[in-house]
Amino acid sequence: MKFKTILTLVAIALTLGAISIWVGQLSYSWLPPQASVESQLIDNLFSFLVTLGTFILLGVAGTVTYSVLFHRAGRYDLSDGPHIEGNVTLEVVWTAIPFLLVLWIAVYSYQTYIEMSIRGPMEMAHMPMASSIAPALAEPIDESVQPMTNIEVEAKQWAWVFRYPEKNITSTELHLPVDRRAHLVMRSPDVIHGFYIPAFRVKQDIIPQQNIDFEFTPIRTGKYRLRDSQYSGTYFAAMQADVVVESMADYEQWLAEARQKSPSPAFNQAASEYAAREQKSAKAGWATIVPASPPIVNYHP
Amino acid sequence: MTQIAPKKLPIEADSHEELLSWRRYFSFSTDHKVIGIQYIVTAFFFYLVAGIFAMIMRGELITPEPDLVDRTVYNALFTMHGTIMLFGWMFPVLAGFANYLVPIMIGARDMAFPRLNAVAFWMVPVFGIMFILSFLVPGGPAQAGWWSYPPVSVQNPTGQWLNGEFIWLLAVTISGVSSIMGAVNIVTTILRMRCPGMSWFKMPVFVWTVLAAQIIQLFGLPALTAGAVMLLCDLSFGTTFFDPSQGGNPVLFQHFFWFYSHPAVYVMILPVFGIFSEVFPVYARKPLFGYKVVAVSSLIITGLSAVVWVHHMFASGTPGWMRMLFMFSTMLISVPTGIKVFAWVGTIWGGKIRLDTPMLFALGGLINFVFSGITGIMLSSVPIDIHVNNTYFVVGHFHYVIYGAIVFGLYGGIYHWFPKMTGKMYYEGLGKLHFWLTFIGTTLNFLPMHPLGLMGMPRRVASYDPEFAFWNVLASIGAFLLGMSTVPFLINMVSSWIAGKKAGDNPWRAIGLEWLLSSPPDVENFEELPIVIAEPYGYGKSEPLTENMG
Amino acid sequence: MTSIDRALDQEQLEQSKQATAQENEHDEAGNSMFGFVIFLLSESVIFLSFFAGFIVYKTTTSDWLPPGVEGLEVREPAINTVILVSSSFVIYIAERYLHDKNLWGFRFFWLLTMAMGSYFLYGQAVEWQSLKFGFSSGVFGGTFYLLTGFHGLHVFTGILLQGIMLIRSFLSDNYENGQFGVEATSLFWHFVDVIWIILFVLIYVWQ
Ligand code: HEA
Ligand code: HEA
Ligand code: CUA
Ligand SMILES: [Cu+2]
Repeated sequence: MKFKTILTLVAIALTLGAISIWVGQLSYSWLPPQASVESQLIDNLFSFLVTLGTFILLGVAGTVTYSVLFHRAGRYDLSDGPHIEGNVTLEVVWTAIPFLLVLWIAVYSYQTYIEMSIRGPMEMAHMPMASSIAPALAEPIDESVQPMTNIEVEAKQWAWVFRYPEKNITSTELHLPVDRRAHLVMRSPDVIHGFYIPAFRVKQDIIPQQNIDFEFTPIRTGKYRLRDSQYSGTYFAAMQADVVVESMADYEQWLAEARQKSPSPAFNQAASEYAAREQKSAKAGWATIVPASPPIVNYHP
Repeated sequence: MTQIAPKKLPIEADSHEELLSWRRYFSFSTDHKVIGIQYIVTAFFFYLVAGIFAMIMRGELITPEPDLVDRTVYNALFTMHGTIMLFGWMFPVLAGFANYLVPIMIGARDMAFPRLNAVAFWMVPVFGIMFILSFLVPGGPAQAGWWSYPPVSVQNPTGQWLNGEFIWLLAVTISGVSSIMGAVNIVTTILRMRCPGMSWFKMPVFVWTVLAAQIIQLFGLPALTAGAVMLLCDLSFGTTFFDPSQGGNPVLFQHFFWFYSHPAVYVMILPVFGIFSEVFPVYARKPLFGYKVVAVSSLIITGLSAVVWVHHMFASGTPGWMRMLFMFSTMLISVPTGIKVFAWVGTIWGGKIRLDTPMLFALGGLINFVFSGITGIMLSSVPIDIHVNNTYFVVGHFHYVIYGAIVFGLYGGIYHWFPKMTGKMYYEGLGKLHFWLTFIGTTLNFLPMHPLGLMGMPRRVASYDPEFAFWNVLASIGAFLLGMSTVPFLINMVSSWIAGKKAGDNPWRAIGLEWLLSSPPDVENFEELPIVIAEPYGYGKSEPLTENMG
Repeated sequence: MTSIDRALDQEQLEQSKQATAQENEHDEAGNSMFGFVIFLLSESVIFLSFFAGFIVYKTTTSDWLPPGVEGLEVREPAINTVILVSSSFVIYIAERYLHDKNLWGFRFFWLLTMAMGSYFLYGQAVEWQSLKFGFSSGVFGGTFYLLTGFHGLHVFTGILLQGIMLIRSFLSDNYENGQFGVEATSLFWHFVDVIWIILFVLIYVWQ
């Protein structure tokens, strides 16, 4: 009897485990393409948590469903269930196991985090003035070890402007060479914006008047979407840009081409929507901060 | 369900005539039971208002283009939706439950400060109406999200001193004052007004959870108030606390805000844990499994909740060590929470289960809660949060908790205590219909938000890329279904309150002081104070709960 | 549940039966005092938040003082501090007198407390007048006026409460059922005092 119970439990656990692992594998397909080194690390962690989570959810939901199906009171059965107040062993077990699981999740997350070694504003975060006094690229970047693409990002209500300081080029489309670590210095003159490229799984708020350093490594060529992730007012939703990851050769060529072009105003969704709205005689909606005029850049798509 | 209620003699109508008069509910009453119902009904009104905002939002989001409302209107809608849902619906409705049930459950005749109680309640319609009226000021209502992060929140495009954000800050502060008054009252009541024999470990878990939740209000709300005062100064009196161009620090506001608003989520969920703990034993006819541990874990959650707030700021430029520290503290919350979840499962296991409407809602709420808790753990893992922060994944997470667990729990609680509060029985069929509509609507509405977030759709957008359309259409359909689901509920409540069958004192054959009273209870609750001699949840043991009552 | 638990429970039951029944049921003043203490604890978090904000600003802002401001004069505020802190002892004496049913003694020292509190407010007003910066002079000006102003508001409230208690002392039979109002006012006054000490150290001493 006892042995049989254990056997059944093991069988159930194995089945649940198998389903969980399957769902965990499935979870990769819920995410955008893995276009950066970071995205692979994060997806593995996510898949692990999905596996674990599925197991826990199915475990709890399964037990509840079983009870509801098989421990129903008959229609005229007014008796009570057994008077069981608790079970110390069980309670210790179900305190200890989640605790251990949590440790496991935390350690795994920590390792992933370290591997990503995203360079956010980190230590600078609480010294706004200190960091904004420092010139944009004060600290020498160890380019000898690892070549980097240096780009300055300006986020404002409601436009993205990218500047390539070495070539003195500006653009409203972010071009990046594949397989090279990108180093961004991000600034905002007005409110908090968020730099977010889902395909790269990276995100960083841009606190105004600070230089925010940020790094990641794209590994897959293609065109992706950059979105503002920190709500920034009326035209927040329209504050998007394209990110083009291309081979080194294509990138160099793009730089050369862009350099030829003289700066001209780019299309800006917020500015054009605002202009259209102002033209209408019957105004819908309420007063808004006026969008910055369309950025004047060398390159715009 | 009425068929299982043991036949009771009809209560003499005359002694209750005065109690049933509806006029009491529109007066400045100091009876905690009247105030409790006033809270619940008022809160429900604001719930419908904020729900209608959500319907318009989902209408906008059914197509990728911003075509239904202007962007400013959309921004105002989600701001006021979030704000009114939390400050106008969640806190008041929970205060209502606490008001109605706590004094009865601990054997007191009223709250410690009845007049303070009434004043706290009457502030609710005041700030609630302020929120709604702010739609009429020239620049429209606040449009900075319910977090009201500066600098966006202080940009004030109209330049008028009377603007939506100003009213918003004022109303939130009034709400805070009301909540503090309520918290002082409830904590004092629980700690000082217990009847003879009502020792700590004889208190029902609901009382424990309310205590745990109200302690959070006491230490958390003042921080939000401080932040709100500083923001108001920035907005209206020319200071630069949060203005980075003048040496201010906008991230500091985020700390103030989340230092309260994270613990606030436990203010909302804890009493619902209490409702679960009351409902499961009754409809499974078994004692609450591991009662003492469940009770104490509430206070552990209170403690932990004070040290996790930075998990809302992982992408805000938080230093690495802080990210790791708060990641770990956040994850720890799953331990005391898990204890509760497993205890409920243990309670149900092997019981004599009856699927009446309260039980259905509690079971649905439990499953939804575990799901949302797991997505919560994912969010607390910094690398994952870096991807899904400020996306619909977060929106999915918290609507699963707030709607799937909390609102479910509240519905369950309303059905469970409706016979006690009104003396009438609700219509079981309508109740079941309500449950299934709500359950399907919730799943359809909030489940699709998770894939959306994983794909990278930011929250707070009136327009989005066409690739997100499919899941958004599903979510909108679910939302409309959810809106519909309130209709059978309202019909049920109103019609059964007016013309429902008499419920009797204890239709559920439940154990608890409240069930020893008449339905609805007399003004003084207890003729003679009860002397409690047994632990709560004595199912399967047939022992009396008190020395001196029926 | 083990039998030991049960025995313990039984014991607890006996105790709490007696304790809760007699003490709390009609002890309204006790409840009020308890509630008031809880309220003060909660209120202190507002000040703690402001202090935390002050410390963050002070340690991270590069141009802390507004242009043209050298620092704060400490002498006058120090005198002010001494007066406010001593008033805490004076109000205690007043309470003692009330306890001994000496109403005139109570009124005298109570009034003295009020006078000291008012002097404090006056001193602060004079200081504010003489300052070269305003509420909107950067985060320094903002936090300075916010902290001192919010505290001043509490002092003012304290004096108002004291005034009410003083008037009440002339009503007959007023202190028959305990002196909750007086005790609460006095506690509030001590609270306001302690806050000021922290505030003084933060703003004036730590420059
Ligand atoms: C109202 C109730 C409520 C509750 C109860 C919770 C519970 C939790 N929440 Fe949630 N949360 C919100 C409401 C709530 N949340 C809201 C409103 C927001 C967004 C606000 C906004 O941005 O507007 C939010 C946002 C939010 C974030 C920020 C995301 C972001 O903005 O980037 C995070 C990150 O850590 C988080 C985590 C958690 C965790 C870890 C829990 C835990 O408490 C969950 C614990 C429960 C379980 C884990 C399940 C049961 C346990 C077991 C079965 C044991 C075994 C389990 C394991 C070992 C994993 N929540
Ligand atoms: C208690 C909290 C609570 C509750 C219950 C809900 C309920 C709902 N919320 Fe929630 N929501 C929040 C709290 C809550 N929300 C918060 C805090 C935010 C964040 C805001 C921010 O970003 O600042 C948010 C944001 C939010 C968004 C994201 C907006 C954005 O980021 O752009 C969306 C989008 O779908 C949404 C949808 C819904 C829906 C469809 C419901 C549904 O459950 C609502 C169901 C509707 C009803 C129950 C009423 C329907 C009534 C009728 C249809 C009329 C019938 C009338 C009569 C019969 C008289 N909410
Ligand atoms: Cu632009 Cu946020
Ligand atoms: Cu949180």
